[in-house]
Amino acid sequence: MRSSSTDNEILQRKNWSVLVYMVGVVVLFGVLLIRLFVLQYVHYDENMRRSDNNRLRRVDLVADRGFIYDRNGEVLVRNRPSYQIALQAGSLPRSKSGKDSVFRNLLKIRNKSGERMFDSLAVDTAFQRSLWIKNRPIRFYEDASQEQVAVVEEHSSELPGVVTVIESRREYPYGTLASHVLGYTSEITEDQLKLPEYEGYTQGDRVGQKGLEQAYDKDFRGKDGVKLVEVNASGREVGLFQGVDGQDPVPGLSLVTTIDLKLQKAAEAAIPDSARGALVAIDPRNGEILAMVSSPRLDPNIFSLKRRERNKGWAQVALDSLRPLTNRAISGTYPPASVFKLVTAGAGLESGLLSENKYYPKPCSGGYQYGNRYQKCWGYHGNLNVVNALRLSCDVFFYQAGLDIDMERINEFGRRFGLGEELLGVDIPGERAGWLPDSVSFNKRNKRNGWQWARGLILNLSIGQGQIVTPLQQAVLVGALATNKGVYRPHFMKELRDAQGNVVRRYEPEIIRPGKMKAETHRVLMNAMDSVVNHPGGTGKRGALPGIKVGAKTGSGEWKRGEKTHAWYAAVAPLENPEIAVAVIMEAAGGGGSVSAPIAKKVLMAYFNLEDSH
Amino acid sequence: MSSGKLLDSSLKIDWLFIGLVVSLMACGLVLVYSATIMDEIPFYRTYWFKQLLHFLGGFVVASLLVFVKIDWLKRAAVPLYIVSLILLAVVLFVAGDVVKGAGRWIDLGLFKLQPSEFAKISYLLVISYWLSRHPVSLYKVKSFAVPFVLFIVPFGLVLKQPDLSTALTFIAVTLVGFFFAGLTLTDVFLMVSPVVSVLFSHSQSIGYEILWGLLICAVVFALVRRRLPKVLTVIFLAANILAGYASSMVWNMLEPHQQKRVNTFLDPMSDPMGDGYQVLQSITAIGSGGVSGKGFGNGTQTNLSFLPEEHTDFIFSVLGEQFGFVGCAVILVLFALFLWRATSVCKLTPDPFVTLVTMGASTIFLFHILVNIAMTIGLMPVTGLPLPFLSYGGSFALTCMVLVGFLLCLRYQCRRR
Repeated sequence: MRSSSTDNEILQRKNWSVLVYMVGVVVLFGVLLIRLFVLQYVHYDENMRRSDNNRLRRVDLVADRGFIYDRNGEVLVRNRPSYQIALQAGSLPRSKSGKDSVFRNLLKIRNKSGERMFDSLAVDTAFQRSLWIKNRPIRFYEDASQEQVAVVEEHSSELPGVVTVIESRREYPYGTLASHVLGYTSEITEDQLKLPEYEGYTQGDRVGQKGLEQAYDKDFRGKDGVKLVEVNASGREVGLFQGVDGQDPVPGLSLVTTIDLKLQKAAEAAIPDSARGALVAIDPRNGEILAMVSSPRLDPNIFSLKRRERNKGWAQVALDSLRPLTNRAISGTYPPASVFKLVTAGAGLESGLLSENKYYPKPCSGGYQYGNRYQKCWGYHGNLNVVNALRLSCDVFFYQAGLDIDMERINEFGRRFGLGEELLGVDIPGERAGWLPDSVSFNKRNKRNGWQWARGLILNLSIGQGQIVTPLQQAVLVGALATNKGVYRPHFMKELRDAQGNVVRRYEPEIIRPGKMKAETHRVLMNAMDSVVNHPGGTGKRGALPGIKVGAKTGSGEWKRGEKTHAWYAAVAPLENPEIAVAVIMEAAGGGGSVSAPIAKKVLMAYFNLEDSH
Repeated sequence: MSSGKLLDSSLKIDWLFIGLVVSLMACGLVLVYSATIMDEIPFYRTYWFKQLLHFLGGFVVASLLVFVKIDWLKRAAVPLYIVSLILLAVVLFVAGDVVKGAGRWIDLGLFKLQPSEFAKISYLLVISYWLSRHPVSLYKVKSFAVPFVLFIVPFGLVLKQPDLSTALTFIAVTLVGFFFAGLTLTDVFLMVSPVVSVLFSHSQSIGYEILWGLLICAVVFALVRRRLPKVLTVIFLAANILAGYASSMVWNMLEPHQQKRVNTFLDPMSDPMGDGYQVLQSITAIGSGGVSGKGFGNGTQTNLSFLPEEHTDFIFSVLGEQFGFVGCAVILVLFALFLWRATSVCKLTPDPFVTLVTMGASTIFLFHILVNIAMTIGLMPVTGLPLPFLSYGGSFALTCMVLVGFLLCLRYQCRRR
């Protein structure tokens, strides 16, 4: 036990410490009081003026989204002003009766034909939301016309808290043209907000969806600014708030693409919108994509419309069984069909197992007996060398060639020129991978349905039935075969420019596959591609151009018993010095030479500025 | 009941103290009501009604705490501390509610638990328990080892959340604890001085240079007077000078945008579009209240919702606008009286544990009051510390009532013996 005198000492010392503590409290509270006195007495007038006569509001200034141009500076995508009619919660009357009168006055407004301008449900929802959204306008009528805006402004005295907000919306002046490449914009989705790549985005932001709009969204956005404005009692701006600087928005970068508007227009015109198909035109010397069409198309302008019309348009395209939302040129996966015979032939020539003058033991008599199976050819071609076999697209020749060369060599040659499972890395989202099957990957993929690799499958594979390619891969393939100088990454971006037109970033062409073969192999393949178009009986003769040597290969892909074949046509021109490669596929349309070759021809005519003779 | 009897320290229950708490709460309800009132919402969904329920729940907890024996508090200190560390670790590494910004909450379905609030209480108990048995002294540097470990773990975990202001609460409690466990005011000053050195020397403006010079002089003077062991003298002096030079060197190495961030934190008004926007609005609201205020329900700034967090962190500006300087002064006087009654508990007994818990609890209140009000009038950085009894919020209301419960309990139990 401690003695009571020590206890007293302890208590005394403690009293002293508590006193020190409380003196500290009083001093600090005194500082607060002095500051409050300065604010509330000394600066009272200034603060009162700010608070009572003028009200401060923070206005976000959305940066202008960058434009999209074609390679010659033609505008493909631009912005248009769009008027939104909205509620500004802070300026609405406080009382319920005041709000009710604004509500009634809004519903009283009628357009020329005497209908109510505003939907009572939409207005009611906006009033509900105004209870908790205080700091930004709540839209209840999107994309109003000039007259509608004028009517609302006219009634502004009866409508405190109702404001007009100008936003900028995307406009696609050519409608459906290149719609799959350009993409569209819409309000950011809940799912996107959760993704790490959308960090820094907030609800209500308009972001690019699909295509270039999505791929270059960060560049298009620019940097939003802000300003402080004084508003009067009914919530209308009366001027900038003095003494505090805002931040001006920095407009987004504009994208100059590799697309050639003239070529794109020709391609779009050549493919009817009712058809299912795709077209890719590419410059094989650097990977620049000159035109890309996927059909059926959609009009991205519908995503800039007001909600009701937008939903209608969206329902139409989303529920369409022809799947117009898919960009078939990069997401469509098809059998390469006879176009693949170029690869089979190339692999044979490259390995020495095939030569220009090699003839196989079985001439084509309409089919080929393999074991107990009889594989048909599409015609009776007799005994052929490789160039003529390609010209006539004889299956029997390639059955034997394939068995001789084997899939490993064929697939290696195909991958060298851009086919296969590895993506080409085109700069829009949605690209799908191809597939060059061999015994291992075939068994792996077909594990579930129990199919086993058998040597007889080589028969199908050597004529391009069983592999998977995209139209983009086909264009890249024939282009690279023709140049023999490497496979360049296909891309749309040429350069990014700022608002003053200065180039900020330029695309550097990039070789992604070796894309080289022996000179002899090259020579034979080029002869073959030439003969397909320009020699009698060639399957691609409908693709010939006057004065310019086109090389090509046709294909007719079987995909479903009893349906017409997918029509493939892949061409390069001029063959001696290739500048453009075009691949066309028309789904379930028939033979490649008869259906797709004329389409590619129209695009090539446009490229070389040739007049249509018909 | 005469005022003499009201202040009679032999009473088991301090009715004046309870009266002050109830008055402050009533003011809080009025302010929350005026900041959030909308006529479309039924009363049981309004903020003020929910806050009333928080307070009533808090009163039940506080009343139950009155009957807890002081020995039980001592025995519970360490286990509670360990539990709170586990909860902090859980919220940080496992169950953090990422959607709500920083991971500070654990969602238990029925309600959300905020471990950092719980940690304030458990840390108060554990540091008081340790310091009550092991006084500290600058002459025995080892005596700081255990308190330092007790402090640094929850401090680090809370800082990592990141919740700087709550972390600073731990520092305040610790320093006051040291003061009541053996250190002199000079010692406390010496311990704080290196941090102040950093603040004073980060920018090379002449005003700050002079302030820093004065600080170093004060440190030297304190060291001479205190006659500490030579090693400590050298360490304190070196720490100050190093902190000063290092901070200006690090400052110069920062990128301009990083410097801007620090400046914005220290002086929100330098960024009137960001954090400064709130402070600007708050100052306008308070300043326009004038001497007597605009009157209840007439706050145009608050009514127009210019203040984003008016019913939580910026409740004081609602007060300033509607009730003016008089209203602010009344609330500050109520707070001062509250702290006076709170600290007076420790005069009842020589038991150092009682002293430390009392002073620590008072300090938690004081720290919140100072930092919150200073923030609303532009004297301090914008941090998320609420104002006791006035700000809306369930977790913090419960924390306050638990601390009030401790203070009532200590008085009741001391008088019973």
